Amino acid sequence: MKTVMRFFKSLFLLELLQGMRVTGRYMFERKITVQYPEERAPLSPRFRGLHAQRRFPNGEERCIACKLCEVVCPALAITIESAQREDGSRRTTRYDIDLTKCIFCGFCEEACPVDAIVETNIYEYHGEQRGDLLMTKDKLLAVGDKYEQQIAADRAADAPYR
Amino acid sequence: MVTIEINGKPVQARPGAMLIEAADEAGITIPRFCYHKKLSVAASCRMCLVEVEKVAKPLPACATPVTEGMKVWTRSPKAISAQRNVMEFLLINHPLDCPICDQGGECDLQEMAMGYGKDVSHFSEGKRVVVSPDIGPLVATDMTRCIHCTRCVRFSDEIAGVTELGAPGRGEHMHIGTYVEKSLSSEVIGNVIDLCPVGALTSKPYRYSARPWELTSHSSVSPHDCVGANLTVDVRGRQVMRVRPRENEEVNEVWLADRDRYSYLALSHAERITAPQVKRDGAWQTVDWNTALTAAAHGLRGVVEKHGAQQIGALAGYGATTEEFYLLQKFMRGLGSDNIDHRLHQIDFSTQGAMPAFPWLGQALADLDNLDAALLVGSNVRKEQPLVALRLRKAARGGARLMAVNPIDYELNFPLTARRIVAPTAMVSELIAIAQALLESGGEAPAGFAALAAGVAVLDEHRAIARHLKDAPQSTVLVGNGVAQHAQQGALQMLAALVARLSGSRFGFLSEGGNSAGAWLAGAVPHRRAGGAAGAAGLDARGMLTAKLNGYVVLHAEPELDCIDGAAARAALQQAECVVALTPYVTDTMRDYADVLLPLALFAETSGTLVNAEGRWQSFTGCTTAPGETRPGWKVLRVLGNLCNLDGFDYEASDEVRRELEAACSAVLPSSKLEWQAPVPAAAGSGLCRIADYPIYAVDGMVRRSAALQQTPDATSGVARLNAATAAQYGVAGAAKVQVVQGGGGCVLPLALDERVPDGCVYVPAGLAATAALGAVDAVVELKAAE
Amino acid sequence: MAEIRNFTLNFGPQHPAAHGVLRLILEMDGEVIQRADPHIGLLHRATEKLAEQRHYVQNLPYMDRLDYVSMMSNEHAYCLAVEKMLGIEVPERAQYIRVMFDEITRILNHLLWIGSHALDVGAMAMFLYAFREREDLMDCYEAVSGARLHAAYYRPGGVYRDLPERMPQYATRATKWHSEASLKASNQNRQGSLLDFIEDFANRFPGYVDEYETLLTDNRIWKQRTVGIGVVSPERALQMGFTGPMLRGSGVAWDLRKKQPYEVYDKLAFDIPVGSNGDSYDRYLVRIEEFRQSNRIIKQCVDWLRRNPGPVMVDDHKVAPPPRAEMKQDMEALIHHFKLVSEGISLPAGEAYAAVEHPKGEFGIYLVSDGANKPYRMKIRAPGFAHLSGFDEMVRGHMLADVVTVIGTQDIVFGEIDR
Repeated sequence: MKTVMRFFKSLFLLELLQGMRVTGRYMFERKITVQYPEERAPLSPRFRGLHAQRRFPNGEERCIACKLCEVVCPALAITIESAQREDGSRRTTRYDIDLTKCIFCGFCEEACPVDAIVETNIYEYHGEQRGDLLMTKDKLLAVGDKYEQQIAADRAADAPYR
Repeated sequence: MVTIEINGKPVQARPGAMLIEAADEAGITIPRFCYHKKLSVAASCRMCLVEVEKVAKPLPACATPVTEGMKVWTRSPKAISAQRNVMEFLLINHPLDCPICDQGGECDLQEMAMGYGKDVSHFSEGKRVVVSPDIGPLVATDMTRCIHCTRCVRFSDEIAGVTELGAPGRGEHMHIGTYVEKSLSSEVIGNVIDLCPVGALTSKPYRYSARPWELTSHSSVSPHDCVGANLTVDVRGRQVMRVRPRENEEVNEVWLADRDRYSYLALSHAERITAPQVKRDGAWQTVDWNTALTAAAHGLRGVVEKHGAQQIGALAGYGATTEEFYLLQKFMRGLGSDNIDHRLHQIDFSTQGAMPAFPWLGQALADLDNLDAALLVGSNVRKEQPLVALRLRKAARGGARLMAVNPIDYELNFPLTARRIVAPTAMVSELIAIAQALLESGGEAPAGFAALAAGVAVLDEHRAIARHLKDAPQSTVLVGNGVAQHAQQGALQMLAALVARLSGSRFGFLSEGGNSAGAWLAGAVPHRRAGGAAGAAGLDARGMLTAKLNGYVVLHAEPELDCIDGAAARAALQQAECVVALTPYVTDTMRDYADVLLPLALFAETSGTLVNAEGRWQSFTGCTTAPGETRPGWKVLRVLGNLCNLDGFDYEASDEVRRELEAACSAVLPSSKLEWQAPVPAAAGSGLCRIADYPIYAVDGMVRRSAALQQTPDATSGVARLNAATAAQYGVAGAAKVQVVQGGGGCVLPLALDERVPDGCVYVPAGLAATAALGAVDAVVELKAAE
Repeated sequence: MAEIRNFTLNFGPQHPAAHGVLRLILEMDGEVIQRADPHIGLLHRATEKLAEQRHYVQNLPYMDRLDYVSMMSNEHAYCLAVEKMLGIEVPERAQYIRVMFDEITRILNHLLWIGSHALDVGAMAMFLYAFREREDLMDCYEAVSGARLHAAYYRPGGVYRDLPERMPQYATRATKWHSEASLKASNQNRQGSLLDFIEDFANRFPGYVDEYETLLTDNRIWKQRTVGIGVVSPERALQMGFTGPMLRGSGVAWDLRKKQPYEVYDKLAFDIPVGSNGDSYDRYLVRIEEFRQSNRIIKQCVDWLRRNPGPVMVDDHKVAPPPRAEMKQDMEALIHHFKLVSEGISLPAGEAYAAVEHPKGEFGIYLVSDGANKPYRMKIRAPGFAHLSGFDEMVRGHMLADVVTVIGTQDIVFGEIDR
């Protein structure tokens, strides 16, 4: 009896039809494909994307050249040079992040005692030349200035967990 | 020895030692802030609390002497709890500065907090803020960070001998400050940076420039004085970021003079020359090494062929490495000339033949600690060899009687039992009087002494000096740089040696510059070959200048400043046909007289050997690479030798040069014995006499270009000093500026009245741009008020 | 007569079925494999050597990049090794979070495996469905760590941050492709916390697994391609050091979660599926069952985590950096933050081996410390390496097309093999 059943199952391609029923059903289901770039998947406030340097509300750059991000960076992607500014404060004279080395682990942001270096939720950046992916201090500050609202909102959303 | 038990482990300790010393020797770590092995015990930080058996409360290990059978626990619950609570108290008022503090990463406070402290504080109240005084260009202060360990106060009080730092106020109001707010005048103040366990005192030039974890440390040796202080040079990338002491109990203990610590700033000075240059038709051209070296060899050979080998001479600076000295003399003698000298500060060479193989200190540096008496002749040891002065101060604190015969009443950092401050011309008779006083109680006068002693009055002070020297079990007579630069250097040396012999003291030289001993051993003197072997005598440094030769080789020197007769040096070099300058720096003056400029690596950039005053050979390797096309001196001289077809210039490493020289010096035993040679009495000078010495921050090119050092009170741009009576005598009493004329040269200097200067003398330092125009220092000085 | 030689075929490293950068030198007699020689090292990054120059926390992101489809499991083994040497106990909530994400990782890994394996063998649809589910799990990864793949979320002493109370949502403005209603529907399971989202997934997932089974388990082509292919006897599997589904597929019930329980696995109910024939089909069945078992564990974890709030990091700032707010106000906290960031933790001298039941097998980290803040030596025990070593034996005598099946069934990932 079992053999007969198996024979008929096999003959009428039952298991294949069952499979096609599954795929056929999905033809009429709601489409879940996200049509990037017009549509975007949601991003967590913890997202670790392109770096930015932030400023204090009074416009002063936050970074105090403590070099903790430089030392904690596992990929040695950060290069800092520091000096005393004319007003006596400790400041960077150079702050480079080499995005081609960066592994986006987020340790720099964790290390920063003044929330100066952050990883934003920007993931669409590109470079046409190698140098384009070397984020200098000016570029980082520009990113920070442009997206400060989003950056601040993300930090505020995640503050209770850190 | 007493036996105690620490953490259950039996430990042997010296009776009277403190617990912390016994623990340190046994390798058991006890946390501490205020305790330092070189300073007195303060027991103010309370970090070293340990539990001792049968004592109810924990005791500070730094102030608890060991007793037989004592049982100590450093990590018992009671000790840990005490240490944790002390740590918490120390941090109550400590600002949250770690991210901007230079000490971050090498901070004792951070390390103790990690190792022995709690991880969270009970305190959330506001913190105390203290105003930071400005204590000069070398040390940056952030007194809010201070934890009142008073190490800096004890250092300046006990070691440096300046009571300028103190801790006024009590309790919450206590703070470290200068009693009188001013730049600290000490020449060893940089040591408080190393002593400070927190970031309250940090290096100002290094401020905010690097983190300790970015630095690679290299060992080196300081080339600025005859101590040869051991250094740790910290390099980031290719740049020297700072210099710290390297502990060597026999040389510099744990200290460093500011000159050794901050001269590195000159490594990146704007006047560094980084590519070879050749003067063609009066215009300078930057060329490659081949061209420049060929031009140099060609020029020098041309002089030799045209005028003979006796028409070239070599002047070397005091701070060159022994290898450079050796190769330079080998090069000169290969060309057939014995005209080589490094004694650019010297005027009188009359007794050079009587000198030992090299100017020896007569004892080990560490022996100075245990002296019972010492006579300094012509020595401002505090500014000339600051680390020797620290050792003499240590001896003085142990009860030694220190005495001086000086042309100026220098401010030394130890008390003098007796002093004779006389005009330079009278120093000879002072020594004669002391020797005479010694002879009064027996001893044999050498030949010709009686004639000298005639007419010299022996005063009670001379007798006192003689008695102190003779009575002391350990005594020494040291001649300083004031003797070397003296017009009667030979007579003073002979007489000082005689005083030493008669009083049973050791005789020693506090030689000039960083490597005089190396220069003598390498043969960079006209009358000696490598290893001190005598040979035909060429022209000495002064002779070369007065003889106006046709060709000069200048190594590591700026003769217009480094030669004591700068004007003569400039004139001689200017008239020469060919001047080859092997130099790290170039100035307009040098461009004026030189024909070929070969850029040379400085001390942190080359390998080499320095020999200090006690005859210690200290080799070092380069800490970083030299900028641009700059090359180490031994390599440049090697190629120059090859280009002149000289034999024996095929070295591949500076070690080979050193080994060759060491073989030549194998028979040299350190000696400070001077063959007696009756001095010729000098005609008593008439008129105003100039006292010229090299100020502490003008001794060589590096020091002169260290921006931070040049901002200290010890840096001077040149002031004429004389006492009020002399000023009145020469009619310049009220003048703000005076015109000083000497030996055909003149300059205008500010005038300062200074009672330390003896009558009939004017104190005008050498080695400065402002005074370089003056003629020979032994010539009579004329003064008149200037507008 | 001409001499007949075996044909040598180069397979990879650019072959789409090579799962990365596998290069095989195949010696073939006609279409039958005589010998297969895997060449490795094309993805070698010297992770073990790099680790010797980085302090313990800095090494963590490199763990993600070993087996880059089961990131958190790699981190887990590393953290366990460090914690073992430090002798610290991780808070229970962190243990549950770790277990939950280990199982999410297992599902992620198996989804990628089944998707690509089925695609290699000829079933396109599986790939699409597997990646649809992976997307949800990646969102979990991102929500908790900020990265979809390289999480760097587990830390020695716990996990970096607690689970978020909110899930990010889709923008609901209608687009050319989706109506507002459709986008709102996408947000339906994102209204609550991450735990709600995970629970929703766990409720849906068994249905999906049923669909996979409908598509494959009885499918004649699937069976023809997998049954009897790459048979490994239990003895040989043990001898060759196979672990994970490769071992269980041969009928050996070995699972570190049961045999050497770590974290809270001993408090959770789950079963260990084993195969009987040791062929590719059995291994497929084992992994399908692991989907269901992992889902079961996730549900238990979600339930526990909901009821038990608490710390997720050890309360010892000598090991774990203090919270940011505290770091900005408290001197002790700032010092510890500074020192932990710049110097890191120092492990006592000694050695430790810690292993986890990784989706692919036993993944272990062997650490030797000389007391410094960097490992003196770190050895990674990667399961795939042992599996690939048995590759020759598994394919010998099979057809060329079966090479692809065996690569698939071994679940090879070069990040861990080449490391």
